[in-house]
Amino acid sequence: MVGIFASLKWRLVTSRIRASRGGTKVGMVILLVLVVGFLGLTAVGLAALRVVPDYAVPIIVTLFAVQLVGWVLTPLVAFGVDETVDPARFALLPIRPQTLQQGLLVSSLIGYFPAGNMIILMGAAIGIGVPLSVLPIALMCAAAQLLLCVVLARAASTSMSALMSSRRGRDLGMGVGLLIFVLYLGFVSVINNPGDGSALQGGVERTAAVLKWTPPGALASLPGQVAAGEWVRAGFSALIAVAALALAWWWWSVALNKSLTTVPSTTAGSSPAGHRPDDTAVGVGVNGTMRVVAGRDRRLAWRDPMRRMPWLMLAVLTVVWPFLAVRGQGAVFAVAFGAILCGSQAGNQYGVEGSGLWLHLQTITDRVRARGEVLGHAVTVLIPGVIVVIVAIAVQAFAYDDYDKIPAALGVCLSALLGGLAAASYLSAAVPYAMPQSRKSLFASSVPGQKGRTAAASFGVLGGGVLIALPAAGAAVLSLTVSPIWGWIALIIGPMVGAVALLVAAHLTANRYIEQATDIFAVVSAGDRV
Amino acid sequence: MTTSNDNPLLATPLSPPLASSSPASTPLPQYPGAGELLRSVAGQAVALRGLTKAFGERIAVDHIDLDVPAGSFFGLVGPNGAGKTTTLSMVTGLLRPDAGRVVVAGVDVWTDPAAAKARMGVLPDGLRLFERLSGPELLSYLGRLRGMPANVVRARATELIAVLDLADAGNKLVADYSTGMRKKITLAAALLHSPAVLLLDEPLEAVDPVSARIIRNVLGRYTHSGGTVVFSSHVMAMVEDLCTHVAVMAQGRIIAAGELAAVRGDALSLDDAFMHLVGASDVQEGGLSWLGSSPA
Repeated sequence: MVGIFASLKWRLVTSRIRASRGGTKVGMVILLVLVVGFLGLTAVGLAALRVVPDYAVPIIVTLFAVQLVGWVLTPLVAFGVDETVDPARFALLPIRPQTLQQGLLVSSLIGYFPAGNMIILMGAAIGIGVPLSVLPIALMCAAAQLLLCVVLARAASTSMSALMSSRRGRDLGMGVGLLIFVLYLGFVSVINNPGDGSALQGGVERTAAVLKWTPPGALASLPGQVAAGEWVRAGFSALIAVAALALAWWWWSVALNKSLTTVPSTTAGSSPAGHRPDDTAVGVGVNGTMRVVAGRDRRLAWRDPMRRMPWLMLAVLTVVWPFLAVRGQGAVFAVAFGAILCGSQAGNQYGVEGSGLWLHLQTITDRVRARGEVLGHAVTVLIPGVIVVIVAIAVQAFAYDDYDKIPAALGVCLSALLGGLAAASYLSAAVPYAMPQSRKSLFASSVPGQKGRTAAASFGVLGGGVLIALPAAGAAVLSLTVSPIWGWIALIIGPMVGAVALLVAAHLTANRYIEQATDIFAVVSAGDRV
Repeated sequence: MTTSNDNPLLATPLSPPLASSSPASTPLPQYPGAGELLRSVAGQAVALRGLTKAFGERIAVDHIDLDVPAGSFFGLVGPNGAGKTTTLSMVTGLLRPDAGRVVVAGVDVWTDPAAAKARMGVLPDGLRLFERLSGPELLSYLGRLRGMPANVVRARATELIAVLDLADAGNKLVADYSTGMRKKITLAAALLHSPAVLLLDEPLEAVDPVSARIIRNVLGRYTHSGGTVVFSSHVMAMVEDLCTHVAVMAQGRIIAAGELAAVRGDALSLDDAFMHLVGASDVQEGGLSWLGSSPA
């Protein structure tokens, strides 16, 4: 039975390469070789750490811990990435839970992701297997780490599977996505905190001192403890790891039994729309349509986590990122990056609803209304965007006593916001792409076969934002080098150039949408199937 | 009623290739005899001439001509893959034809889509709605987007929701609606602007009997007040029960069309006539002898 699971997973893993032909196949093989090469280099880097054992252990302890957290959280933000490990698929087959669990374990271990992890873990094992006599122990620890990752991730996702198959549960999953993002920012900030020694060393050592008491940390420090003859510590580490693995296996089996024998709870009606007064705007002319569309967008921005969570992430990112990236005077200008990303929230506006676009195809039928629609989406992004940008600039200016740079920074950031908005609007019609409508993940933004389009549209928005911000950026440079008066000029020309870009973009977008609405509809409808 | 391509206008390519980006000021394309066609189909709620669509090598809709008289209840039937949904998608402006003409309520759908879409109500099969709006919010949004005054939209929406038995759903999101409720709210959206023609793709597919009865009643009232309903279905008994006219599609072609009695001919039921027309036969005897003999 376990063999059948293994062969099923192997077929699924290799099916895309087998099904592709000619150029695509060559491309996929080249990509695979590049990824393996990159992972191999990383593994070699980790292996090379064996020459500096004092650094190797703390770094690999941290790596193991981050790896485990990544494995556990990934299914929560991207549930359904792998059908062969979804217990619901096997519920109707006459298989005993123990056999099913063993089969699922084997199929979880086969795949690109586990293979990539194994390459890294081999490097890490060589890095901590000092002297060579403890290398076998280090390799066993690495294997145990992969097993722990897989078992714990499966246990977590199985116990969540009933929840994650409901709309409400998936909405919660998006909250987890936001949590991961905030944790990541916190982690980067702790690791980079200088302390006494060098930045990385101090941060990592202090983190590792705590993490080595956790199961992945225990596995990473076990070979060193054996080599040093610290038998009690080593025994304790082994106990932590084995106990964690056993507990995770038990949790998984309980969750699996439960998911196979109980009906998932339904949460229909758990999130009603609430009684808000109806909008009264009417879609006549550009203005009317803009107000009708903006009214709906505003409502959905609060209600739909797929729209709300990115805004929360952006608010955090726009305020926090300059602290990490610049750390000093001039950080006000780094807000521009967050500003472009705020503008990108108007991106792919025809693809957001999947095939629901047909409702607009039936009602937004002329160029005037189409322009109103584009501007309606833009306004919904512009208002929170401006607030986030102003708050972020104020925070940076206050933190570094950088008040004199505010006019120039505001000019650059507002034009970046408007530029991002203009580019995002135009690319919505020029390079539309399907968005997965199953909404299983906040980060799943493209569907198979359209990854190129998605990437092109995303980079296009960044490029457009930068381009439109250039005049204001030029004036900002002059404000720092020639005279502060240029800062005020940046504040005037930045929003002006941005606003013109947005109006022109709205015109071009509307024309393109009216001409190619059916083609856009065909492209974005693919999102329904994912 | 014709089923062959005997009109010289029909082969005219309808549109430029998909990725065209002609400037905004380009005038609407003019077709030879455009006015003639509109005059010749006066009195028809929907008229198709030489409508064609191919997906790669596969021809989904093959030069079909069809006339739907105004005020009729028109059933479009055919086996899976016959081209019904593709045809309705081209009629509703959701899919661009490779060639041919579509006239709805006297307006060419692909030369004046704005006017045509104002005259039609659409219920497609399997497409999503704006899932995070409640039913009343969806109707309010679509009505106002069509330029209807807010108070008119509110009054009509309230009435439609009551008649379609959706009042109990209250402010539940469309995402949480059942299949029957989704069909009903889409029908409400299709009726909201009081269109001349309703185009419904499988409106009763996977709908519970109570909702089906409600939908049938509403459609009956609509045709009695002069509206035209075109709908596709697999369920012959229902088509026979509801429709005044019927067209049978198979392999992308119309193989029979006209008044129900005429299409049924001497057959006992429309079902029998359909099986005969599409050349299908009942399941053969023999084989499957192992069925029921072993638990494994």
